[in-house]
This record gives sequence, C-alpha cells and structure tokens, in this order.
Amino acid sequence: MLGLGIESTAHTFACSVIEKKGKKGKILADIRKIYRPADGQGIHPREASRHHVENASIALSECLQKSKIQINDLDLISYAAGPGLGPCLRVGAVVARSLSSYYDIPIYPVNHAIGHIELGKLLTGAKNPLVLLVSGGHTMLLAFLEKQWRVFGETLDSTLGQLLDQFGRSLGFASPCGRQIENLASKSTNYVSLPYTVRGNDVSFSGLLSAAKQIKDKGIEDACFSLQETAFAMIAEATERALSFTEKKELMIVGGVAANKRLSSMLKSICKRQGCKFFVVPLEFSGDCGSQIAWTGIMESTVKPGAKLSDTFVRQSWRLDTVKVDY
Amino acid sequence: MDLIKKGAEADIFLTDWDGKKAILKARKKKNYRNHILDEKIRKQRTIRESQIISDVKSFGISTPLVYFVDTKKFTILMQHISGTLVRDMSKSKIIELCIEIGKIVGLLHKNGIIHGDLTTSNFIFSKKSLFLIDFGLASRTAKLDDHGVDLRLFKEILNSAHADIIDKAWSNFLKGYTKSVGQKYCKKIIDKVSIIESRGRYANVV
Repeated sequence: MLGLGIESTAHTFACSVIEKKGKKGKILADIRKIYRPADGQGIHPREASRHHVENASIALSECLQKSKIQINDLDLISYAAGPGLGPCLRVGAVVARSLSSYYDIPIYPVNHAIGHIELGKLLTGAKNPLVLLVSGGHTMLLAFLEKQWRVFGETLDSTLGQLLDQFGRSLGFASPCGRQIENLASKSTNYVSLPYTVRGNDVSFSGLLSAAKQIKDKGIEDACFSLQETAFAMIAEATERALSFTEKKELMIVGGVAANKRLSSMLKSICKRQGCKFFVVPLEFSGDCGSQIAWTGIMESTVKPGAKLSDTFVRQSWRLDTVKVDY
Repeated sequence: MDLIKKGAEADIFLTDWDGKKAILKARKKKNYRNHILDEKIRKQRTIRESQIISDVKSFGISTPLVYFVDTKKFTILMQHISGTLVRDMSKSKIIELCIEIGKIVGLLHKNGIIHGDLTTSNFIFSKKSLFLIDFGLASRTAKLDDHGVDLRLFKEILNSAHADIIDKAWSNFLKGYTKSVGQKYCKKIIDKVSIIESRGRYANVV
C-alpha cells in the first residue's frame, strides 16, 4: 500500500510517500521546503502560505521522483487538516483535494499532532508509551486509553517551542531558535535563578519568558543556559509525575524540541530512575514532515474509507484529544 | 527501612517511629537538574509541605501527622496511613468518593490553600475516612485563578485516567465542593475553570 502525505501546518511544506507492507512502513521519500522568516521575526502566515504555494509543485515532483512512483500508483492521499495556521493549512488541503479529485484517489484529513505520535511509534518501535510531545505548537503529556490519546499534562500558556523561539527572537535570532539557544547554553554553567512553575502535571512558561528576557543583558550564554535548565527541569518534573501516576513502562519523546540533546539527556535519566524504556524520535524526523501525515493517513485507511471532498476542511484549532483512534 | 514507592519528586520509605509504622519522604538529589535549582526546589517544598500538611488539620482535613522534619537532608518523617489509593478503587466507589474529595478541596480553598497536585493517587481511603497526602506543590493563595487551576488539575486527571466515569465523578466533585464553599463561589469557579481551559492550546474557542 502506497500513501502520499502532505504537511503544511506552519513553516514547512512537505511531501512524503510511505509504503506499508504488513505492519511495517517504509519511507520512500520525504521532501521538505521550509519557509524562513527574517531574523528576529516569527512566521508571517501570509508569507508562509505564499512560500508554500510557490514550493508545493516542486516538493511534490521531487517526492514522486525520489520514491520512483507515479501519482496513479498511490492508494491514498492524506493531508494535515490541523491544528495550524489557516492560510498554510489551506495550501496543503488544496493540493491534496486537487490530486484526489483529478486522479480519483481516496483522501484522508489527518491531525498533525497525532502524526507526530504515530510516526514516532513507527520509527522507534514503542508499543504503549507515555508520550511527551514538545514542539512549537504543542507541549503535552499523553497516554492512550480507550481509543483516544488522553492528556495527562500540558502547558497552561505557551509551548516549549514558543518559549525558546520567542526568547531567541528577542535576541534577534532566526526562528526556529532552539539549536542556537542550545549551542549558547552549552557554553555556560552559571545558573541564574528563574521562575519555576509546575502545577501537578501542568507547566506554565509565561513568567519564565518575561524573567529570562530581563536577565539577557547580563550575558546571553548564562541566560540561555538558565532558561534551558529551568524550562527543561519543569518538563522533566511533569513527565516524571505523569510516569509515576500512569506507571507506564515506556516514554517516547516526539516533536521539534525532541532534537534538543540536553532535554533528552534529562529525560533519559528520569527513565532510568523510574525503570522505563526511553525512546526518542530520530533527529531527522523530529520536526514537521510529510511522513507523519502519510503514515497516519495509511493507518486511518485501514479502518475507514476516504473522506468526501465536501468534508475535507482544515481546522486551525483541532485538539488531538478529540480524535477517535480506531486502528 | 523499605523503599515502597519511587515517586516523581521523592522516595517513600516505610520505617518506624517510636514503635509505630511511619513514612519517610526523602526528596533525593536529582542529578539531571541544575544543583542550585535542585536545592531550591527540594528545600522550599520540604518546608512548605511540612507546614501546610499540619496547618490544614486545624480546619478538619485528615492528613498524616508530621513527626520530624530535616531541612538539611530534605526529609519528612510522618504517620503511615494504611488504606487504598482512590485511583485503585472500583469505578462506582471513585464516583461516590468524589463528593468527599470535592468537600475537602472546597475546605482547602475556603481557607486560602491550594493543593497543587490533586490526583486520585493523592487521596487515601482509610477506615471510612479520606486522607489527603503529598502537599509538595501546595501553596497559600486566595486568588480565584489559582483555585481554578487546582480544580482543572483534578478534572484533567478524571478526563485522562478515569475517562469513562468523568461526567458522574466531576458532577459529584462539584456537589461536594459546593457544600464547602457555597453556591455563589462554586458558580464563579466553574466559569473560571472554563476560562483556564480555553487558554489551552488549540482549545475550541467558539
């Protein structure tokens, strides 16, 4: 079975083809075109969608070429229907709808966040993990129960990705800023005290962001180090609480911030303490990509027919804990 | 001294004190955490927990008796409560106990204290009465918003760990909560909880 996945929730327009054989999935191609805002600025939805429109056909043809298939060979097409930025989402949806109606291929709208989790499970082999989803759009602790992903903890305001990006942008960095902050942080060991807010399994970053901006003049490296140490310790604590409560034996970390080495080393140490296995999605697939959409679409197609074209909307606000998972 | 639970922030040991069974809660150093931050958190929580766990007794909430606090080693020695965690009880029993849980939480809030980690594993059912444990994240606050966050925490746990009984359990919780704080405050806080929920990522703000 061959599935095409189209991702366009935020800064990335991406296409991927996955072949499913039995229970295994093989990524034949994963092509990404990433919109880069000017230094110190965030994503401008209109500019990002313009970028996506300009790059959509290029990404699609590169993807088909690399996977050595024709559009007609596809058994299904899936696209990220949300959550994300409206103008960006619509580009992917239009591409998916056009292909689906012209070539008469079943179409599946897919939740982007579920995509991160499903691809993570495919690539790491985790069976029944507690999931930590950390990206620009999400900061959530999830466990699967009765056909739905249930939220055991989440951020009460901004996400971990937003925290790093907004702090980085205040220093004039180009988003996403995670990598640059990680590099600077590794040059300091001088911890400056910052607000630490954990409420049960929930975290809150707004106070931390304001405070971090106030200490940046005393030294960027110290500020980056202290910000990371505080924010990651909060996430680590919330994760450990959720692990201890759910008594899960696996922890899987997915999403863009999963690429951060300091965060994963902290979580690894927690897993050791709590006696559970640690899985982290491979660096290459931690950020937004087409594969997460293609694979989730394939999973969906095993239990239901494609959507009617009239039902292929995009949903900017679409929480993953409202999605029924039947496969 | 036997380790009985490796909790998220502390190790729980079973020991004895003056011939009675006792619990030693030790906030161990966490090597993954920056040591300045680590010390700050462990110290603050040890002191706060031991104070609040005793204070709430004065308005009738059952909590373990504190025997000894070590603010150098960050340990608390306290009474052992034998019983069952509400988390591990039958569905019908959890639904029933939610009234009492609501009452207890209401009493806390009425007296300007939030628990900060309201889960079904922090209530122990022992000989017909409910004990509230783990005050590590508790704090003194009269702010409506803080009380709302406390309630949302409990709702989140029902929604995730006890998804099949959330409707009945939550309405019972609110019934009990109303008994402690009165109808007017309860209505205010229900509105606050929905505001807090709407702040969540991708929440449906219709």
